[in-house]
Amino acid sequence: MLLFVFQFALGPDRERLAGTLPGLLWLGFILSGLLGLGRTFLVERENDCWEGLLLAPGDKSAIYVGKLVGNILLMLVIETILLVLFGFFFNLDLASALPGLAVVIALGTVAFAAVGTLFAAMTAQVRARELLFPVLLLPVEAPVLLATVKATEAVLLGETLGSVAHWLKLLAAADVVYVAVGVLTFDFVMEG
Amino acid sequence: MTADNWSFVFAAYGLAAVVLATYWRFLVRREKELDDASVVRRQMRQESGRPEPQARASGHPSS
Amino acid sequence: MRTLLGGVTLAGLVGGLVMGLGIAPREMTQGNVQRIMYLHVPSVWVAYLAFAVVLVASIVYLVRRAEAADRLAHASAEVGVLFTGLTIATGSIWGKPTWGTWWTWDARLTTVSILFVMYLGYLLLRGMIDDRERGARFAAVLGIVAAFNIPLVHFSVLWWRTLHQPPSLMKPGPTMPGIIVAALLVNFAAFTLLYVYFVSRRTRVLRLEAEAEA
Repeated sequence: MLLFVFQFALGPDRERLAGTLPGLLWLGFILSGLLGLGRTFLVERENDCWEGLLLAPGDKSAIYVGKLVGNILLMLVIETILLVLFGFFFNLDLASALPGLAVVIALGTVAFAAVGTLFAAMTAQVRARELLFPVLLLPVEAPVLLATVKATEAVLLGETLGSVAHWLKLLAAADVVYVAVGVLTFDFVMEG
Repeated sequence: MTADNWSFVFAAYGLAAVVLATYWRFLVRREKELDDASVVRRQMRQESGRPEPQARASGHPSS
Repeated sequence: MRTLLGGVTLAGLVGGLVMGLGIAPREMTQGNVQRIMYLHVPSVWVAYLAFAVVLVASIVYLVRRAEAADRLAHASAEVGVLFTGLTIATGSIWGKPTWGTWWTWDARLTTVSILFVMYLGYLLLRGMIDDRERGARFAAVLGIVAAFNIPLVHFSVLWWRTLHQPPSLMKPGPTMPGIIVAALLVNFAAFTLLYVYFVSRRTRVLRLEAEAEA
């Protein structure tokens, strides 16, 4: 669906389209990510398992890591599908760019999922969760979005990963910071 | 010599003044409301002989 | 005590006004529009100060559960958002005659806009959680995430754009005439005093509100 919207919105101008593709790709990733991440704790909420989560003995951070890994895998699956579709519809040569793309996507997805899982837990019990979750997540992820789009741009143009090393370092730093903060603060979120 | 654009300068300073003054007025008014309310509450409590609750300054009862 | 602080703050603001609008000279390249800088740059400084305080207060709250720390975080975030908004507005007004456009996605304006939305979300979160204790806890977590995000935002935007003037006060050696630096510093001090004044009044209001609910 998204692909059609993008295509219609931007028209058939091949040049312009090519320039915006990295951004569109990540927009697609983020939109689906928002949907998926927002539901991280929905099952627990709906089935009244929330108290079970809270009462579970041991470090609550383990729950965070578990949910995080699950979310990362989920997002990677969605992203792969989207990537293939993009390649198909916009006639991209993905094979050569694949290793670089894989690195960028992996780094970006971890950053996205790390904060997303934490915020999902925080907004799970708030009224208007569907509104608050993206409002909180998107500004925080802005630097990650910038970095991934720039890096993806370079990779799709055939440049080496070394040329975007600073962006990759930023993503790696973001990954470390977000996961660390997530692990350290998840206990506080799950107290009640 | 570049144009002076004093109107922009005054617009910026004026905007800042309005915003900051409005916030200040909000604070002052809210504080007065709450102060008056707490005086009324204290009087009511003295009349009925009930003890006053303390604002929790530190520590927190577990929920 | 507060009236003394208020008085000093007011004096500082007047002093800053006099320096910025009067004593400081007309700038060479930009003309008098440059005087907006005496509002814009101190606003940014106060915003960063406010968010740093939010970070510290948030950590203190999570560790010690002191209600006062929670109130401080709340007040500081609110004042921070206020000054961030002011930064954006003054930056935009400065930009129109200087660059010919109300808005431009240059490094500082973009960074500050992201901060604005982040901490606005912080205030929204607080507003939407009814349970006072949970609201305080979650806000503290968000306050920590947001603060750690600031350097990431700063660098990502900086590398993405380089239109804005380089940060003037950070470079070694003065690049601006002394009198301009002096005017800037007076305004820095005045705005910082204003921050302290606002936060102290706001925390008092929060404390009174808490007492009223008890």
